[in-house]
Amino acid sequence: MSETTTTNEAAVIVPRHYTLRQLLFPSVVSGVVLGVVGAVVVYFIVRALQPDNYDAQVVFAYTGWTLFFFAGIGAFNGIWRWGFARHDDTLEEALDLAGKDQGLWRYFRYTTDHKVVGMQYLATVLVLFFVGSMGAFSIRLEQSVPGAIFFTPSTYNTIVGMHGILMIVASIVMVSGPFGNFVLPIMIGARDMAFPRLNALSYWLLFAAIPVFLSTLFLGGFPTGWTGYAPLAVQGLTPGMDAYCFTIILFAISTTVAALNIITTVLVLRTKGMTLARLPIFVWGVMLSVFLGLTAFPSFLISQVMVLTDRVFHTSFFIAANGGSNWLYEHLFWFMGHPEVYVIALPAMAVAAELSAVFSRKTVFGRRMLLGSLITICILSVLVWGHHLYTSGSNTALDAPYMLDTELISIPTGFFFLALVGTLWRGRIWITVPLLFVAGMLVNFVVGGITGIYLADLPTDEILHGGMFVTAHFHFTLVGSMVFGAFAGFYYWFPKMLGRRLNPRLGALHFWLFEIGFLGTFLSLFYAGLQGEPRWSANVSPLYATANLIASLFAILIAVSVFVAVYNVIISLARGEVATADEWGARTLEWTVPTPVPLENFATLPEVKGTAYEYGLSEPVDKGFGLHEPATPDTMDAPSPQAQS
Amino acid sequence: MSEANIDANAGSVAPTPPPPPTPAATPASREPDHFRRVLTIWVVLSVIGMVACIFLLPYILPPTASNLGSVDNFTIVLLTVLAIPVALFVFVFLAYSMFAFRVRERPREDALPLKPRPMLQVGFLGITSVLCLFLIIYGLVAYYQEASAAPANPLVVQVTGQQWTWTFYYPQYGVSSQGQVLELPVNRAVQFVVTSKDVLHGFAVRTLGVRVDANPGQVTTTPYTTPTAIGQYPVVCVELCGLYHSYMWSSLKVVDQSTFNSWITSQGGHP
Repeated sequence: MSETTTTNEAAVIVPRHYTLRQLLFPSVVSGVVLGVVGAVVVYFIVRALQPDNYDAQVVFAYTGWTLFFFAGIGAFNGIWRWGFARHDDTLEEALDLAGKDQGLWRYFRYTTDHKVVGMQYLATVLVLFFVGSMGAFSIRLEQSVPGAIFFTPSTYNTIVGMHGILMIVASIVMVSGPFGNFVLPIMIGARDMAFPRLNALSYWLLFAAIPVFLSTLFLGGFPTGWTGYAPLAVQGLTPGMDAYCFTIILFAISTTVAALNIITTVLVLRTKGMTLARLPIFVWGVMLSVFLGLTAFPSFLISQVMVLTDRVFHTSFFIAANGGSNWLYEHLFWFMGHPEVYVIALPAMAVAAELSAVFSRKTVFGRRMLLGSLITICILSVLVWGHHLYTSGSNTALDAPYMLDTELISIPTGFFFLALVGTLWRGRIWITVPLLFVAGMLVNFVVGGITGIYLADLPTDEILHGGMFVTAHFHFTLVGSMVFGAFAGFYYWFPKMLGRRLNPRLGALHFWLFEIGFLGTFLSLFYAGLQGEPRWSANVSPLYATANLIASLFAILIAVSVFVAVYNVIISLARGEVATADEWGARTLEWTVPTPVPLENFATLPEVKGTAYEYGLSEPVDKGFGLHEPATPDTMDAPSPQAQS
Repeated sequence: MSEANIDANAGSVAPTPPPPPTPAATPASREPDHFRRVLTIWVVLSVIGMVACIFLLPYILPPTASNLGSVDNFTIVLLTVLAIPVALFVFVFLAYSMFAFRVRERPREDALPLKPRPMLQVGFLGITSVLCLFLIIYGLVAYYQEASAAPANPLVVQVTGQQWTWTFYYPQYGVSSQGQVLELPVNRAVQFVVTSKDVLHGFAVRTLGVRVDANPGQVTTTPYTTPTAIGQYPVVCVELCGLYHSYMWSSLKVVDQSTFNSWITSQGGHP
């Protein structure tokens, strides 16, 4: 283990003492206070001007919240300093912004340290998953018996929509957010992200979107489900729909900012010897994912801006009577909606590949083949959105090319499976909780992938489209595959990020409950879908009652697994074993730095001389694995260029 | 993934080549031939699975009541039969690896590196491409056969969705169905002309193999379908259309020609 030197930082900079005012401003407390005040003020101004336009009042209040929240949290402080040309950040200010010596309070400020942002993302994703899963269990409760018993149809539709969008948002950021921010810069040998302030901005935009989204509960909810289809979205009589649209706008900006940051970081800040060809697979997966997000999300943003202008200013992009078209919305939405699936999938698939090499102590079976398959998936995925419109009546001439593209994706996906199965074959399989999740992911992904063929094929899609079969299919891919992949990463990197071990028995219990419950629930829903049950049913028909009841009973296992996981996290944080720097014997760079990771990650930047997967090829497993040696002198006494953004 | 397909990199123990291994010659030959074993398991399970699929799936799938529905059900059986060996390939190799090659605790040594030979990659690409091409061509042919059929004397039904009911209008008889019932004569081709008055709806009759969106301001026609079995079936909305979406149910009654004629009369039409 390289020596853990954080000492020379302290020698240069005297720790600051904070007054209460300095602690509270800027921080999330001042941000929320100012944001709420701003929202209320703007709301009353707009209400005075436009007393009848509730949508305008709500949307402008959200805008006020967002701007004043960011003023309150100090997002504009740096711009203010530069804009009025007083001076650049001193080293002390840069380190202060990075959260030096602020203890836990740094997690509640506009902190630029990538590790803090990663932890913020991790906590947020876990909370979103928890809340979203409660929505899922409410849905299973309602669908366990025929008829709308537990919720009114209006409440049910809102729960379905909230569950959908919470889970989609959470799973888009579940790997790239926590691990892409915390682990990725260390993996490539960088001290921070390329744009630390943008990094903080991307997280706090996500944070700012959450209260906007939850406000829909007090504004009558929204009837459209997560897809927000117009013209239903425009027709929506309550302002709850505006909350959905504004949330998506904030979220799309957040992912765009994060994507630019991650791409620039990977392209520019790699350490000496870390060529693109030597990049760890995880880094490739995240980079491809955010690149795809950068392509796809603008159209989601635009579609929601258009819905909002339809609602607030009474334009008619989507109103057929005034020359608009619902197909326009569908195309804009699914141009985002299908690549978005791969935005979620690619990093989780990369995590699985990374982990299968680590836990079989064997080099990845065809690393270039695997990278090629990920890149091919990334490219093909922007060409397939039309299969969501097979039954829309709009594009018969394009059905065949869309079907071709969609089914072509199964070829690179097949290579992904070949690479992973080949990596595990004849390895020294060390069965840990992360590897269990990888195995579960492979099993579920096979089912999810194959059922995708049914929906890609025109003759079968025309009886399955819009039905429970679709619901079961995308839960198999998104939850069974990608969320499992993310949990694999969670159990794998948790010791590095939080410095504690998770209990492996509870982890295994979490896995088995989740996997069995998951298979039971969604295989039953496949059956219901084959019988023709439509989606979004508050009022389940007696025809499908048995399958739905079985699904709901199995969902109890998933619910138990959620609480097992929560319990595991809590007790491991309270009194878990302290993790070592190198928990698993992996060879990527994040395991060569001490745990907890020091502020600037590396005392000296490493030089890389090979890929991280040369098990059985180079020397036996060794912490340094001879891949790095002091390349640059410690730069702590000069302001590091990254800390300035 | 067989040893034959793998370049064993210069390392400690060279795996035995697949042609008949000389007994007890190298240390590796004491090990069971994992690859042959797993391949046997895969083939046996695949055959069992495919046969089981052909016999069991018809019990799982709902009965169809039209020519389109039968094609659709057949396609589902076909896809599932093809999917069985593909899925089992991953399942069997994964499960076998997890059991046969597991170590009790944190491994102290690395495993032998294996990398795929070009022939394995090309072969894999070939097999998956052929499967994929078959699916595409089959799907397109089946679909265009459905879409291009032009039967004689078809019945036309105009379907209009609105929050949250369906209206069925029979232009050839100048009559609308009163109440939420779509009544069709057996063995006569029918085409639906679908539109919506307000938001997006999805007109779906599972047993007829018909499913199309009802778009406001647009009229969409479905392929011809011929009901083949007398009975009562559900008609549902499959696009989320607001508050009472899940209550937007109607029923389809397939009846014989004379019952249909008298029903038309009873609704105020003239057969």
